[in-house]
Amino acid sequence: MSKEEAISLVTDGDLLTVGGVSFHRVPMELIREVIRQGKKKLRLVDREPAIGFDLLIGADAVRSVRFAMLGFELFGFALNFRAAAETGKIEIVEDTCGAVLNGLRAAAAGIPFVPIRGMVGSDLLKIGIQNGNYKVTKDPFTDEDIVAVKAIEPDVALIHVQRADVYGNIQIWGGRFEDVWKAKAAKKVIVSAEEIIDHEAIRHEPYKTTLPYPYVEAVVHLPTGAYPTSCYGLYDADYEHVRDYVQAVRDGRFQEYLQIYVFTKRGDMNARS
Amino acid sequence: MHEAKLTPEIMIKAMANEITDGDRVFHGLASPLPILAISVAKLTHAPNLVFLSVAEGLDPDLDRIRLRISSADPRLSLGAIAFLELIDIFDLCQKNELDVVFLGGAQIDKYGNTNLSAIGEYRQPKVRLPGGAATSYIMSMMPKTVIWATRQSKKVFVEKVNFRTGAGYLDGWDSREKAGARPTALKVVTNLAVYRFDDKTRLMEVESIHPGVTAHMIPESTGFDIEIPRHVPTTETPTEEELRIIMKLDPDNIRYSEFR
Repeated sequence: MSKEEAISLVTDGDLLTVGGVSFHRVPMELIREVIRQGKKKLRLVDREPAIGFDLLIGADAVRSVRFAMLGFELFGFALNFRAAAETGKIEIVEDTCGAVLNGLRAAAAGIPFVPIRGMVGSDLLKIGIQNGNYKVTKDPFTDEDIVAVKAIEPDVALIHVQRADVYGNIQIWGGRFEDVWKAKAAKKVIVSAEEIIDHEAIRHEPYKTTLPYPYVEAVVHLPTGAYPTSCYGLYDADYEHVRDYVQAVRDGRFQEYLQIYVFTKRGDMNARS
Repeated sequence: MHEAKLTPEIMIKAMANEITDGDRVFHGLASPLPILAISVAKLTHAPNLVFLSVAEGLDPDLDRIRLRISSADPRLSLGAIAFLELIDIFDLCQKNELDVVFLGGAQIDKYGNTNLSAIGEYRQPKVRLPGGAATSYIMSMMPKTVIWATRQSKKVFVEKVNFRTGAGYLDGWDSREKAGARPTALKVVTNLAVYRFDDKTRLMEVESIHPGVTAHMIPESTGFDIEIPRHVPTTETPTEEELRIIMKLDPDNIRYSEFR
């Protein structure tokens, strides 16, 4: 499938999650296609997003964002996110890693919530209760208080991987992060792959299949589709690009960045030069 | 004055000292000092520590890895034994089988509570911070948390955090345990000193002051009353061997970026 067709499966207002973490194996080219197609009012959810979410927020595609940390690590703030948060332009739903993961785990299992032991004494527990994402309930067996995290069921998960066949049998190398959970939790899964391999190659080494076809809606062949984030075993993150991105946003040149890397020259081309 | 140049290395050594051999240790994103501290500990006094990280490579080969700008960089997993998903690491924590974690704090208060969420009013913040990542989830469960801060000041060391992302000793005494959080041992390592907490009141106190730092600099950089013991020890300086490990693992001097 082409990326245009695949991303046409995303609807305005969808709850959208993306694979990878921080500057690693993020489905950047699919994200750029979401922006090119002018999707609006998306509700984003992820554990530790960075440039992927900041790009969507800056491109005005976002209504709300749920995250445990949204920053650029040693590069500092995610500036589009910070500006949108401080001006109240988007709704901020702060969360914590373990709760996001367990919310995805609940949706993947088709159950309404997962009880967790963490967060006691943190103000984020109160915020999550106010936001309707958690509730303090009773353990039915011991009658003790326990926090329940409501299932997180994304409408769409975008995931970038090293290898897939045309049927959507996926091989992820290196850290999987929670990509498998996201795929199992989401209603639709759109995968971009560095390489499309023969179906027979999948059958030859089935233990390498991280995610099989019943979970996957669409597969797009996108070499360097994670650029400028890394793709384990194939290419590094382009930290100089990230630094330039941060500088562009800081200098008020984000629209120029969008023109260059999203709307004209395809971002993934850069990795090849 | 030339000792001041060793501030990152002194902090790394002090953080490494908080690890006991055999500990299961975890670090998250944006954590150059924790990665180096865990590595120093494993290559010196704690060869059996279990290295768990946000990059998901279990026990990476410390001969091969080099510090990267992102703490989840795939190159930090070189030579690992397995990829252990973060959800598995948090499950270990829930089962009380994770021993030490290193966490940051934009604000840290006298009871060791941390704020990584927002400065000012939470819903209309003056500064919207990136968020605490795993902090909120795991800090109330951890038997030991080491908080690090590279720029101690009255803005960082505050009487009370604006927002409690990470649960330290809450309001002191036994308030943490009463709230239902697990008992914990907190330490704070900054660019000036190492801090521990009183066994009963749970108030922060000075454990040792770094070489080159004078005692009066502590209250000048602390937004609450803090007692300085009369005979406060000097924080250990890294050995030649430890410095060699740090420089080998971080030839690009990424560890300095948190100090700029």
